[in-house]
Amino acid sequence: MQSFAEKLQSTATSFGGFVPELVLSAGIVIIVVAGLIARKQPVWTALLCALVFLASLLFELTYWNAYATPRGLFSNMLRSDSFSAYLRIIIDISGLLTVFMTTRDPKPLRFHAEYYALLATVILGAHLLVMSQSLAMVFLSLEMISLSSYVLAGFSFSRHGTEGSLKYFLFGSVSSAAMLYGFSFLYGLTGTLDFSAPEFARQLIEHPSPLFFVAAAFALAGFFFKIAAAPLHPWVPDVYEAAPTPVVAFFAVVPKLAGLGVLARFTLVLQAGGHAIFDWQLVLCAVAILSLTVGNFSALWQKNAKRLMGYSSVAQSGFLLVGIAAFLPQGIHYLLFYASAYAVGSFIVFLYLHYFERLGFSSLESFAGTGRVWLWPSVFLLIGFISLTGLPPTGGFTGKLFIFTSLWDAYQLSGKSIVLWLMIFGLLNTVVSLFYYLRIPFFAFVRNGKHVATTNNLTFENLLGLLLVVGILFLFFNPGLLMGWINKINFAL
Amino acid sequence: MAPVHHFLYLGAFLFSTGLIVIITKRNTIMVLLGLELMLNASNLNLVAFNSLHPGSLQGQMFALFVIVVAVCEAAVGLAIVLRVYRQYRTSVPDHVNELNQ
Repeated sequence: MQSFAEKLQSTATSFGGFVPELVLSAGIVIIVVAGLIARKQPVWTALLCALVFLASLLFELTYWNAYATPRGLFSNMLRSDSFSAYLRIIIDISGLLTVFMTTRDPKPLRFHAEYYALLATVILGAHLLVMSQSLAMVFLSLEMISLSSYVLAGFSFSRHGTEGSLKYFLFGSVSSAAMLYGFSFLYGLTGTLDFSAPEFARQLIEHPSPLFFVAAAFALAGFFFKIAAAPLHPWVPDVYEAAPTPVVAFFAVVPKLAGLGVLARFTLVLQAGGHAIFDWQLVLCAVAILSLTVGNFSALWQKNAKRLMGYSSVAQSGFLLVGIAAFLPQGIHYLLFYASAYAVGSFIVFLYLHYFERLGFSSLESFAGTGRVWLWPSVFLLIGFISLTGLPPTGGFTGKLFIFTSLWDAYQLSGKSIVLWLMIFGLLNTVVSLFYYLRIPFFAFVRNGKHVATTNNLTFENLLGLLLVVGILFLFFNPGLLMGWINKINFAL
Repeated sequence: MAPVHHFLYLGAFLFSTGLIVIITKRNTIMVLLGLELMLNASNLNLVAFNSLHPGSLQGQMFALFVIVVAVCEAAVGLAIVLRVYRQYRTSVPDHVNELNQ
């Protein structure tokens, strides 16, 4: 047993690996206070929020080498390693992009300080979630993300926004209550909340009881809700349709990647190196197949662009789960690569959906003829959609190639037929997704419209969009640069 | 002291009651009540299981945190219900379906 002084000492040293999160926590307080002073100037709170995210990002980058040696923080509640650091970097960049998108809205943002404080809270929750290795921390950080997201979903202050917020809340709260019930049994059966502890895995292997399966399935329900995977997806299209577009872009990346990060850790423990009596690979493959199929086929019938993106997000969760379902170290590396390509592609699409939404285009038909008038925005939107589909020459293609390669390796190793089925469904669904992803570009470039407006090509969107498009093309032409960085990440528990 | 499994039965009963309330009752306020039952079932489990592992207080600490989170969840939930009531003049989720039409 440690003495009190030793515990105090270890807590004090833990703060060294916790700097970005401290910055975010302080930032939330400062944003709320700044909102009281600059009531009518949303510019200041936006600037402050962007600075907080930038500071957190810079700290991640400066500590990058220190993260290479994993260590537990705060008596193993959290774990600082390069896997979580990589995801935290993507999360911070997504936060920055969301702030930029929000400031482009011509309408004055109501309750701007609260809005930015909630954004920063979700980012902080996502940071903690990818770092957590204790069931208590997982629950707390997941609720931190969820509670702020319920409020953010209603930030359009319209009837529809309120409805989306209510549906999000009902689904989210019930699935997190079920997850907590699962956690309580996992704690009872193993005697520890630290799921990376050796005794957790040992109890899992030594005392196989059906209760384990039920408890872990309940626990997984919470994660699947957070990443919008199939059996728990009905909230997705409603929330995506009703929430403000910058918030939707944020939801499509931040909570999803945070949930995937913790899911990758948690399922690796459950699988226990193949010694577990229940085949969790089967469960993950089944969920991935279901997400792919439900997401893609429902997206085919959609008429609203944001609703379509909601179903696309469900399908993308299926593709991201493929990286975890392979249960191979390189699967995790490829998952990180695909997640980066997905984040960039998704932000390109939402950036321009937001741009066109402000011009009054939201249904698919209304995009008719826009390609002739708004040439560059439409071309960039097309590249974003191509990347989400997974066609060359974009990073989405490279990412899909990588994760399916690792899945094929997993099939060669295990010979399980469900893995082969996942492969077949994944490839077929890529073809299906082509039909709906290319519908907006089809309307934009092929159909004729009656737009006569002249446009300025030198907008902020085009500058930011160009940057992202160059990024996604770079991921295709030179994937080695990012992969070399990712390959240094050590994902052992 | 009563054996641990009695508490687990009570927990399971509370959890299923909460779930049934959420599924069958149509009012959002009743859904919030059912949610509290589900969360408290987990709390009961955590505290009961802690007596099996007397070396630490992890389960009891977790239960304390869950109580705080449950309060936050109820606060956010009630705020959303209030907003829905202002806009739709109802708190029944089934009557709030203008999306997807």
